[in-house]
Amino acid sequence: MTEFVIALGWLGIFAPMALGAVASSIGCSIAGQASIGAMLETEGGYGRFVGISAFPSTFVIYGIVIMFTLNREVTATNAGGLFGIGLLAGIALLYCGIWQGRACAAAINASKEKPEIFGLALAPAAIIEGFGVFAFVFALVVSAGIPA
Amino acid sequence: MSESDLYTALVTSLPSSERLFVAKQPPLSRLRLNKRLSTLSREDAQTLTLVERLLSWSEYDMADDIGTVIARTKTALRDIGQPTLRTIIEERMELRTAVAALRMRNRGDTAPTGNWGYGRWTQHIAGNWTDPTFRLDASMPWLRQTQALMDRKDPLELERHLLEVTFRQLQRHAARHQFDFEAVVIYVLKWNIFDRWAQSNSEAAARRFADLSLDALRDFPDLILEGEAQ
Repeated sequence: MTEFVIALGWLGIFAPMALGAVASSIGCSIAGQASIGAMLETEGGYGRFVGISAFPSTFVIYGIVIMFTLNREVTATNAGGLFGIGLLAGIALLYCGIWQGRACAAAINASKEKPEIFGLALAPAAIIEGFGVFAFVFALVVSAGIPA
Repeated sequence: MSESDLYTALVTSLPSSERLFVAKQPPLSRLRLNKRLSTLSREDAQTLTLVERLLSWSEYDMADDIGTVIARTKTALRDIGQPTLRTIIEERMELRTAVAALRMRNRGDTAPTGNWGYGRWTQHIAGNWTDPTFRLDASMPWLRQTQALMDRKDPLELERHLLEVTFRQLQRHAARHQFDFEAVVIYVLKWNIFDRWAQSNSEAAARRFADLSLDALRDFPDLILEGEAQ
């Protein structure tokens, strides 16, 4: 039983990094496909579209930072905390990344027609980023209470 | 990644459907549209063709009876897996049934019986034949204006009104589909509306009139037309 609990602890340490990578890859893929489509239809401003496509890449960075913060010797005492914080932070990052990718795709689709709304169209993606930052910051705060 | 994300590039490569009706020149020709649609899988392309053919008047033979049309629609609906597309087809066929009923009543026909139209309102329309809108104000609020335009004998305005109603129906469904196959089909159907509107010029009208005249005159083979050699 102790080995299983310790395994869960390791899973918790690596989960934010792994799920953050999944989030970023899916999010960037969705937004990237949208930017490729928009490039077919527009005559310029391609750099902006590619830039937006990279927005969801921040989630893997958050995941890496959480992973390093949680990284410590796993014992039966701290495994539960590591598992809970790591896994839930990873799931939060995963959803934020996927949905930010979709929000970016919608922003690209709208701003290819009306370049003047480019900044405003990014607001939903920025709000989702804010939710991801909440998950990231509070994972760091709470992880300070886990015994080393 | 969900399957719907595969359509993201395709949808963003198409100009906004609103622009279709604003631009003086079509922002996207059928040739270019077909080129973009070539990225669809064979299955999706078949479904798109099926929906387009079902809703295009040019795909119907004027000699077809209503039973053939209903059977064709029902067969197609069985082959279409997306509920939104099935709803779009049913709504369009019901719209056509209601407009046909208005035309029949304007012609002086009595309430139809039996298998005379498509959809859930056929019996209801026949039962409320004398009511100006067949008591369908709630579900088809556009019927009153359609009747008014028929009374005014303004076919161009009537055509524009019906195209607007159809466009609004598609817009309502489009709000729930942004980057999926349904969004692509809805876009193509909107493009078809635009195309129909743009092409309804005098040349097309004259050709259509000539076809209808020939159809009507087929029953009178001995008739000699003015200017025709005897």
